[in-house]
Amino acid sequence: MLDFRVVLAPAISLACGLLVFVLGRHDGWRATLTLSAALIKLLLILTLLPGSLEGVVYGYRAFDFPPGVGIAFRVDALGMFFALVSSTLWVLATVYAIGYMREQHERVRFFGFFALCVSTTVGIAFAANLLTLLLFYELLTICTYPLVIHDETPAALRAGRKYLAYTLCGGALILLGTVLVQHLAGSLDFGTGGLLRAAAGQPLLPLTFIALVAGFGVKACLMPLHGWLPTAMVAPTPVSALLHAVAVVKAGVFGLLRVTYDVFGVELLAGLGYMSWVAALAAFTILAGSFAALAQVNLKRRLAWSTISQLSYIVLGAALLTPLAAMAAIVHIANQAFAKITMFFVAGAIERGTGRTELHELAGLGRVMPWTMAAFTVAALSFIGVPLFAGFITKWYLSLGGLQAHAGWVVLLMLASALLNAAYWLPVVYRAWFRPPRGLAEGVKEAPLLLLVPMLVSAAYVVLLGISTRVPGMPFSLAEAAVHYVTGIGAGP
Amino acid sequence: MQHLLPLAAVLPLVAGALVPAVAWRRPDRAWGWAVAAGSGTLVVTALLTLRLLRTGPFSYPLGGWAPPWGIELRFDALSALSLGIAMIYLAVLVFSRRYAQSAVAPQRRAWFYSLLLVNLGGLVGFACTADLFNMFVCMELVSVSSYALVAAGGGRIAALAAFKYLVAGAVSSMLVLFSVGILHALTGSLNMADVAVRLADVEARGPVLLAVGALTVGFMVKAALFPLHLWLPDAHASAPGPVSAVLSALVVKLGVIGLVRVLPLFTGLEWLSLAPLQEALAWLGAIAIVTGALAALLQEDIKLMLAYSTVSNVGYIVLGIGLATPPAVTGGLVHVLNHGLIKATLFLAAGAIIYRTGYRTLRDLRGVGRMMPWTSVALSLGVLSIVGLPPTAGFLGKWYIALGAFEAGRPGFAIALLAGALLIFVYYLRILNALYFRAPLREEMLAVREAPVSMLLPVLALALLCLLGGLFGSGPVALAARAAAALAGGG
Repeated sequence: MLDFRVVLAPAISLACGLLVFVLGRHDGWRATLTLSAALIKLLLILTLLPGSLEGVVYGYRAFDFPPGVGIAFRVDALGMFFALVSSTLWVLATVYAIGYMREQHERVRFFGFFALCVSTTVGIAFAANLLTLLLFYELLTICTYPLVIHDETPAALRAGRKYLAYTLCGGALILLGTVLVQHLAGSLDFGTGGLLRAAAGQPLLPLTFIALVAGFGVKACLMPLHGWLPTAMVAPTPVSALLHAVAVVKAGVFGLLRVTYDVFGVELLAGLGYMSWVAALAAFTILAGSFAALAQVNLKRRLAWSTISQLSYIVLGAALLTPLAAMAAIVHIANQAFAKITMFFVAGAIERGTGRTELHELAGLGRVMPWTMAAFTVAALSFIGVPLFAGFITKWYLSLGGLQAHAGWVVLLMLASALLNAAYWLPVVYRAWFRPPRGLAEGVKEAPLLLLVPMLVSAAYVVLLGISTRVPGMPFSLAEAAVHYVTGIGAGP
Repeated sequence: MQHLLPLAAVLPLVAGALVPAVAWRRPDRAWGWAVAAGSGTLVVTALLTLRLLRTGPFSYPLGGWAPPWGIELRFDALSALSLGIAMIYLAVLVFSRRYAQSAVAPQRRAWFYSLLLVNLGGLVGFACTADLFNMFVCMELVSVSSYALVAAGGGRIAALAAFKYLVAGAVSSMLVLFSVGILHALTGSLNMADVAVRLADVEARGPVLLAVGALTVGFMVKAALFPLHLWLPDAHASAPGPVSAVLSALVVKLGVIGLVRVLPLFTGLEWLSLAPLQEALAWLGAIAIVTGALAALLQEDIKLMLAYSTVSNVGYIVLGIGLATPPAVTGGLVHVLNHGLIKATLFLAAGAIIYRTGYRTLRDLRGVGRMMPWTSVALSLGVLSIVGLPPTAGFLGKWYIALGAFEAGRPGFAIALLAGALLIFVYYLRILNALYFRAPLREEMLAVREAPVSMLLPVLALALLCLLGGLFGSGPVALAARAAAALAGGG
């Protein structure tokens, strides 16, 4: 089904970004522009939602370059899910950023690239073939670079270099994989349930798999390709939030999902058996990331390691190749995103309000910033996997999916991960609520509304995601549709 | 209408010869005259390309003498490059106005434009000829005018670089002339199609081998293919800005186009296999990609960096030709055009920045992105394009060459190609960092103004073409695929 809205969605943020560069000197104008673009885009994507739920695929072919492989967009349930999550979060992150970045330098550049990032993210979500995906994936790298080095300190520049070194190598690997897929399959289009199905037994197949998985694995922080993420923490908090929750890392896992379900296809992968290696790697990353998080004393760094660990849930879900695991993988894109962005919002608000960044300094903050810490608590409970919170859904379905794949160890892994998450989040929560505040300056109070509202909305969403699995139109039903229509592993539960 | 073909080359040559006369009393007229001649050439080549698309390749016998005896001009898919040449040249000519005012002495300015136009005429003629000797003549027109243009800016380094360039160029011209002589002696003909037919009957194998070798080496020097690239960086970096653009974007391509023209002459021979030669070319190309990129890594001068990147990009093109599968050759030929567009953008943008600031190292240029935003945007577009980021023009060539490498069963070359692209990216990031994200070291930077309109317009137009050349790349790719058929079929 040809539809102009498909290309309009990334175009809105693109136009917004460019307009910010040209007209964005005035704070009020810039805020209005970014916010209205974010809202319009969210509404636009919502109009596509009913169709996606029923399995309608919207498409739009933009350019035919090079001949035969065009820049083309299509919206299936999987892409829709990712786009919906990122554009919802964009609205929240924009409001937050307007509040957070008030006194910062280079605000025009910041908001311009912020909008461009979201444009490219939706481009990734709506890409109809591997080349378009690669294109936006690379553009995302470039658009996030100025955000990572926003402070222009030597540390920021170093982090930026490291970030680019990792992601550009990843991009080059994906390009290699893309060329190989074109060579082996003669086409790059998604939606066939496995481009390489006919290429089984080709000697270049392992190279293709390694190139694509390693390439996307960089942004998905699959160990040992995760090194850039903790370093990139020097960026301003809204950027970290965006990198971790919405754009960059999710682009990586989304790419892995596409590689699994659209490029190789479940049947071929099941026959090849490479995925058990990826699953093992993901399991290792989940545990190792958690242990590393446990060792951190800085809030943002602990968040970074927790992200590395959480992302591998998605990779593991994809690698198990069963319907329920696929469901968990897709749903976790949203679950992790909302919980993590809440935590980052909290970290940023605390830093702005009290100047504190270390974990032991958070004692007693629940008494002066109760709403902020309440949001933090919700997110922490979600990560631990307490029922009624979003994280539980993931753990539940991932365990079921593991059992479906006759991999009982997945259940144990989920339990271990829940314990580890409890071990590194609960002490923070305890300290914030039940310890007396120490050495707080006079006049420290609750975060300003511009920071608080997005935080509370996303915390509310975390609860909503946890209790609304049977409500039609919520992300969960969309994930069900994605499993049903996209992955090619049969109907959902 | 049918006399358009000779006009394409003759128009700029005659106009070039007339520049000193036109500018006799009014030196300012030279620029207008040159731009008019450049536009005329652009229109003529555009019409020729349209005709090519409508009716297929066509020939023109000079003086009415039928091909084997007279000189034949031929406009085929490869000749369509002349449209790109004219396009880039027009931008360069427009750009030159302010640059020449500051960099070229007034009494030499008319000659400067005269040389540029002769250079253009030679390039177009080279792309459209079907005659070996005529090809050599056009090559010499281009080369000799290039030597002089390198020195046009004055200064000791420029003179020295021009001299180095002249020595290397003269040796390569001699080699080409030598083998044209051999071929003429063996076959009694100079028309390329005719030579190809007659070579089949030639008994003497030694001279034919000599001719292949001398032609290849000669054109390799012209193309600055590793390890014969040593003349290039100094010449390209010390020439005036617009001249660097022409040299890097177009003049080095002579060697490549020449190679693509002459190699098919030998594909009909049963006893001669070009495979070892192609293998060698592929290896040299791959080595050039990596060494060129590595050498660029070590530069601090922005123009030297661009010059070394030319070495690397010629590597891509030659690798494509050497792999000899249809997609690889297509990719190589597409990159001839696209690299031209990109490198012209980069050199012109760098030229505009140097014109305004007087500085040329990255350290000194820090912070210039804020003061010259449009030029910097153009430069950034060029940078992203040369790295080969989709959907810019630089991507197409790499895509097809990599595809061709896999088709030839040589994944190693594809990996070398991507590694080279990555290396280049690492370094070009330093340009972007210097432009946008570093605080200026020099106070003067804060007073720098945006480039004048006559510089900005061509730079932006070219930058736009870098982008569009990728987005609407199907047309050039189709033409390149047609041109590639001649070479890849025999390989």
